[in-house]
Amino acid sequence: MKLERIVLENFRQYYGQQKLNFARDRERNVTVIHGINGAGKTSLFLALNWCLYGRNVENIKVVDNVGELVSKEAINQAKPGDQVRASVTIAFLHNGHRYMVKRTLTGSKLLTGKLALNELDQFTMMRQGTSGRTEPVMNPLGTMNAILPVNAREYFFFDGEKIDNFSKPEASAQVKEAIYLVLKLEMLERSQRHLENTATNYRKELKQASGGELRELLEQDETLRQEREKAIKRKDELEKEKESAQRKVSEIDQKLRDSQNAKTLQQQRDRLEKDLKQRRIELMDLVEQIRERATSGYPILAQTAVQTALTILNEKRERGEIPSNIRQQFIQDLLDEMKCICGRPFAEHGPEHQQLLSLMQRSVPSSLEDDVLNTTATLTAFADKNHQQQALLSAHMRKRTELIDIIRDLDAELDDVSRQLKGSPLEEISRLEEQRRNFMSDIDGYSLEIGARLQKIEQAGKDISNLEKKIAAARKEEQRSQELSLKYDLAQKAADAITEMYQVHADNMREQIEARTKEIFRSLVWKESHFQDVQLGPDFNLEVIDRYGQSARPELSAGERQVLSLSFITAMAQVSEEEAPLVMDTPFGRLSSHHRNSITEKLPLLADQLILFVTDEELRDQARINLEKHIGAEYRLEFERTTSCTTIEEA
Amino acid sequence: MLKDRLKALFKSYDPVIRQVIYEVGEIEQQYISMEKPRGIMKDIDEIITRIAREELAQMSEKGDTSS
Repeated sequence: MKLERIVLENFRQYYGQQKLNFARDRERNVTVIHGINGAGKTSLFLALNWCLYGRNVENIKVVDNVGELVSKEAINQAKPGDQVRASVTIAFLHNGHRYMVKRTLTGSKLLTGKLALNELDQFTMMRQGTSGRTEPVMNPLGTMNAILPVNAREYFFFDGEKIDNFSKPEASAQVKEAIYLVLKLEMLERSQRHLENTATNYRKELKQASGGELRELLEQDETLRQEREKAIKRKDELEKEKESAQRKVSEIDQKLRDSQNAKTLQQQRDRLEKDLKQRRIELMDLVEQIRERATSGYPILAQTAVQTALTILNEKRERGEIPSNIRQQFIQDLLDEMKCICGRPFAEHGPEHQQLLSLMQRSVPSSLEDDVLNTTATLTAFADKNHQQQALLSAHMRKRTELIDIIRDLDAELDDVSRQLKGSPLEEISRLEEQRRNFMSDIDGYSLEIGARLQKIEQAGKDISNLEKKIAAARKEEQRSQELSLKYDLAQKAADAITEMYQVHADNMREQIEARTKEIFRSLVWKESHFQDVQLGPDFNLEVIDRYGQSARPELSAGERQVLSLSFITAMAQVSEEEAPLVMDTPFGRLSSHHRNSITEKLPLLADQLILFVTDEELRDQARINLEKHIGAEYRLEFERTTSCTTIEEA
Repeated sequence: MLKDRLKALFKSYDPVIRQVIYEVGEIEQQYISMEKPRGIMKDIDEIITRIAREELAQMSEKGDTSS
């Protein structure tokens, strides 16, 4: 990450639009921003943090207890009801892309003069690729975390006077966190842990997935198909043999027909067989009709209930509990005309008139009358239909019995013909009939066997069909298992690879940071001969060893602790090999001239980009001379006493 | 130097494993500021499922071509 520009609009004391371009040149990589106390250095530093991360990210506070962010002058200038807007825009470069981020806070001015802020600020991020095309970034917060995580920012954007934290004895957790975040070890560790958990879940799922079921089903399918094929083949053979036997019978019949002595009996048999064939077809049709009527005639079951209902209705009608089947309107018509149904007139108060009035009193409204009449009609029709069905079924059953009797008689007659032919005194005729009987017996045997085979083929077909469904389901399950198996393999191998990378990374980085911190620290402190060593132990304690081989950290001055921390941060940034700016607010306030001089001399060479917020007192004499050749941009924050606003002026 | 060593190690893995590491690492980095990021396991499962399906499709294509 390399900062390019910041534009502030109505942000704290920066009224209107104020902008600043950061130095990015490799040789002149330092931006100096001068300002006296209260001129707006910290506000500018705050603007940088707020723009990139907002007030807070999750539970990490970025901007806290700093008062109003919107320019008081902008609020003052606005009329009640006016919208007032504060925004900060930052342009920066990262990994070959140019990013522009803008955070805006809006509110409307109330009659009381205060500002009613909208709850959420608006954050947009645009990315310009190497092709020059600019597009919005869909996940700006995630992208910011990928560039410089919010919890790692404090190692690059820091208050110089509070920087000595790393060198305090209780800071080992902070040192470890800094290293883990900046060197992406945290990311590697989380990736490894989450991939390992994912692989465990896949392994559990795999165990539950059925194994070998498909193969078993396919074997069953193959066996069934083979058996069906065998049955079909045998059935075809039997049908051929049956046809052959039938041909033989036909030949014998023809011979008997041609024989003068057997002709009459054979012709009789032909007729009987033709008749028998016809009757058998009739019987088959009749049985089919009976079956249909029996299955569709379930309303017959309700016959008793229907009959009972009709009886109850009639009894109630006779007792006058429900209306008669004489309609109220019909009686009224007779009364109006004062005439009998036959057309004979009757006198008022006469017996006919009295009878009709009595009937009229007993009658009920026409709607209820209609309901009762309709129910009676429906039940009657239902009962009639059932009677018809029953009658038809009974007729069919009688016909069936008749047909069975006829068939039995025809069979008996055929047997008689056969017996007569067998008993013929002519040997040829008797022999032919004997052969015919044998062939007929064979045909019966074949028919039975064919029937059995057909049954087997049909059953096998049903079994295969069911099996096909099971195979399709098992195949789907097998595909899922195959996918699951690959997923497990990928997750586990990726987790193992990350473990390997992590070990290489973690083992080396601590040693490298230790060596680099020592080198930088010794180049910056003036008592380099006193401080013999800097150690970063496995427990991440940053330790300074003096010439006596003793821990010197408790004795370090505030300035020396600041130098140690700065050495550690710079070393970490260098080892990570990630391009990042060092933004330091009041970096030299607590430093003596010696440390100030050495830092201004060395730090521009150690950082990719250096941004310093300084007071004039911090940067003077030799320190100023040291930094001069590295300064690429220099600004002065001018505080206007009459408006309490600050402007950014190029120095 | 350390980065070069890591790059060399990374390159030694199967491309499909590299893809998983890269994509999972990218998503982890996006959630790095959260202590317990919600939904990250689901995101990781989606990444692995997608890559596995692509791999199976490729294997199937190769199988079809060779047969």
